[in-house]
Amino acid sequence: MNIVRGWMNQLACLRGVGLTLLAVGVFCPLTAMSQVPPRFYWKTLSGASAVPLIVTSMSGNTNPFDAAHTVTPGADFEGTLALAGYARTFTLFDRAAMGAVLLPMGRISGDVITPGGEPVSQSVSGFGDPTVEFNLNLIGPKAQKNIPDVIRYQPGFSLDVLADLAIPIGEYDSSQPLNVGQNRWYGRIGFPIVWQLGAWVPGRRTTLEFLPAVWLFGDNTDYVGKTLETDPLYQIDAHLTRDFTEHLWGSLDAAWYNGGEATVDGVKGEELDNYGFGLTLGYQINDNLGLTFSYKSTASDNAPDDLQMDVFMISLVSGWHPIIEGSKRLKSE
Amino acid sequence: MQRLTHQLDGRPDRFGRFCRGLGIVGAVAALAAPALAPAADVQRRPNIVVILGDDLGFADIGSFGSEINTPNLDNLAKEGVRFANFYTHASCSPTRSILLSGVDTHLNGLGNMSEWTAPNQRGAVGYEGYLNHRVATLPQLLKDSGYHTYMVGKWHLGKQPDRIPRARGFERDFSLLDGAGSYWDMWNFTGASPKSTFTEDGRYLTQLPKDYYATKTYTDKMIGFIDANHGDGKPFFAYVAHQAPHDPYHLPKEWRSRHVGEYDKGWDAIRQERLKRQIELGIMPAGTQLAERMYFLPDPVVLAPASRAILGKKMELYAGMVENLDYHVGRLIDHLKKIGEYDNTIFIVFGDNGAEGTDLFKMIAGSPGTLNYLFAASHWSQTNPNAWGDPGSYVGYGPMWAQVSMTPFSQYKGWTAEGGIRNALIVSGPVVQRPKGSVNHGLMHVGDIMPTLLSIAGASYPKRSAEGQELPALMGKPWNDVLAGRAESPRTERDYLAWEIFGNRAVRQGEWKLRWQFKPYGTGEWELYNVATDPGERMNVAAQNPEKVQALLAVWDGYAKANNVILPTRGPFETLYDQLPVRVPVDEGFPPLIYQRQFVPPADMLAEPKP
Repeated sequence: MNIVRGWMNQLACLRGVGLTLLAVGVFCPLTAMSQVPPRFYWKTLSGASAVPLIVTSMSGNTNPFDAAHTVTPGADFEGTLALAGYARTFTLFDRAAMGAVLLPMGRISGDVITPGGEPVSQSVSGFGDPTVEFNLNLIGPKAQKNIPDVIRYQPGFSLDVLADLAIPIGEYDSSQPLNVGQNRWYGRIGFPIVWQLGAWVPGRRTTLEFLPAVWLFGDNTDYVGKTLETDPLYQIDAHLTRDFTEHLWGSLDAAWYNGGEATVDGVKGEELDNYGFGLTLGYQINDNLGLTFSYKSTASDNAPDDLQMDVFMISLVSGWHPIIEGSKRLKSE
Repeated sequence: MQRLTHQLDGRPDRFGRFCRGLGIVGAVAALAAPALAPAADVQRRPNIVVILGDDLGFADIGSFGSEINTPNLDNLAKEGVRFANFYTHASCSPTRSILLSGVDTHLNGLGNMSEWTAPNQRGAVGYEGYLNHRVATLPQLLKDSGYHTYMVGKWHLGKQPDRIPRARGFERDFSLLDGAGSYWDMWNFTGASPKSTFTEDGRYLTQLPKDYYATKTYTDKMIGFIDANHGDGKPFFAYVAHQAPHDPYHLPKEWRSRHVGEYDKGWDAIRQERLKRQIELGIMPAGTQLAERMYFLPDPVVLAPASRAILGKKMELYAGMVENLDYHVGRLIDHLKKIGEYDNTIFIVFGDNGAEGTDLFKMIAGSPGTLNYLFAASHWSQTNPNAWGDPGSYVGYGPMWAQVSMTPFSQYKGWTAEGGIRNALIVSGPVVQRPKGSVNHGLMHVGDIMPTLLSIAGASYPKRSAEGQELPALMGKPWNDVLAGRAESPRTERDYLAWEIFGNRAVRQGEWKLRWQFKPYGTGEWELYNVATDPGERMNVAAQNPEKVQALLAVWDGYAKANNVILPTRGPFETLYDQLPVRVPVDEGFPPLIYQRQFVPPADMLAEPKP
């Protein structure tokens, strides 16, 4: 009956704060199926930082570095994409906000059809277009500005506004159709939704998550000597996530794409109208490290013009906050 | 058999004189329905509702100074009378045994709690660990006098078939036989006894009703019992022994978030606020000083916001427990109004002992590798704050908030300091002739309730049991004169009260209280306090008053002999001195090292460093 130890143990709540830091950090290759992992828009303590390292292996008939998912009928790409980034949470107008910078890199190879209709075998590698992202919560609990806020946080029904902008400075060779850089400005406006179902308790959390978004593309005026225009692409991601234990969780993922009709020098391509489904397993290694493993694949994709893509993705995200790290240092003395 | 409440001057006790002088029928007429014709009194005897809060603190009800919202209990206080000098025992089953038998614990079987029977107490009469059959029970006597007798809630006075509520006088019951347990299901706390035991109308339940939540279900059941016999002309005695707000703080979600952040200011501030209101309400006299914060607890001012938030959240939950309890009490009251019984019903409301400051869960499951630890890992490991209140969570609020619940007193449940044994009491109904909403400071005791209610019901206390065994005398004093406004206290300055549990002991006579407690809560020696001027027991004046110490020691010895007090050789607090820091005085603002604020130099003397 050690009463002193009893109340001191309550400070173990700080550990829970550490665990939540990682929720924000699960970045993804925005360009790979344009789908973020589940639990991407969970909120955490303002002032937290996260660095992701994400490795994706994909195959399909579209360039994974191209958010427009322009389908190249008959093409067969194999790619390995890595993504590193940095994100920081902060408070804006008393609401939770996040800013991030993401840099894609990797290699891709496959048989592509040139705009002239000729099959070509290509292999490219290098850095893609870095993306900046800004997310602001509009509906839901106020920002978690201190640890008491974290302790009391439950998302309930949260709705954010999201803006992405890719900066066209990635490696690009205008003489070939396949590139890691896209040579045009593009970005996204979305409204991430996290809907808490039941208790907000590690080991028991269940969420239904949606991300309705629209991708907007500038023109690539030097696409193998032609001009590539792409209509807006509408996308809805959906996830049903559930904790299995305090550290292990899983998700059923789905996505729907519509629009994104590409035009090359006035010649219109096909409009996308496709579904994709996937599974994600997440594991919280410790207070600072989170691991996810995902597989996603398009469905009803038998026609040549259908988007065909499947993706394996492993992400390792490190998150930290000065208070948590300082507490750990003191504890280890 | 000597009574706890002695008549040192040799006068006949007031209860006996009262009954002999007026006769039982006259007593009923005088107390319960003074305006009624005697011919009607059998029909019009008042209903009796005893509402017992489990570990409910002295200062937890709004009308006793709390910020917790208890409108229904406050309404009872408003229509009745509050007693600010009322004593229970220091733990639950002993208090309940006194309430239902009117006899001292060392005689009625609860000389010690069954969970803590010491080796030297085993087999001793009075230490059976259940309400023994050497006493008559209040429900049995009321039933014999024509009352319906109903019970819901916590029993804690025995589990064998001849010891359960049905066997001890309750016609109808829905009872948790254990001392505590889940509010949501049948899980209990130990691997050796993992399931709580419930009875309904004398049968042991194999499962609980659908949508079971203790406080709600108990209320539903009691309403059902009352309705089942309503209209047959018989009054009822309803013993509503709520489990709430005993830990674990299991609570429906909608009751958990009514005080978010309100307790982050810390226990000292809340205690000060409660005391201020108590003085304004007349519960405590002006000038009352708070008992010192338990010396091993931190000043919340020096705690990080995270610590205050997480500890405050426990109190938020506790406040929700009390408010939920009040809500269901309100449901019962509303129902009685609806069926036309409210105006003829006496309510007696109190907590069974001081608020709980000891970590029961850690006592049971705190040692890794033990069976109970593994049991807790399976069934009681919902430790995340967001899970608090759910099945599988175990939250108690700790000594800091227990002291708040017992404002302005010292210490809490299990101890014979005022914080362990003094509680709030509300009495309302047709017997109360005192000004509505008034506060009384007469010296009252839970043992008084049985003679009071027997008197009100027109029932007599027999000399012998049904088996022909001589019954011990009732220990208490009836409140008839006090409730009628003819007296301020049922006791004279020479009457005394005495307690012993777990080896902690105390005796109070008039304004003086002598107490002995284990170190470090006590000194391991007899301490003397004037609890009229020092209710917080801050100043041990034993050294300055050796004659008073000797006089009270003699009273104690008389009590111990008369009631067969066997001090336990083992107990829950025997090694506490070795687990807690060495006791030091609590001096506000010490050490300055952690209180001194940043020095701010005069603005006109600021300068940049010279090159």
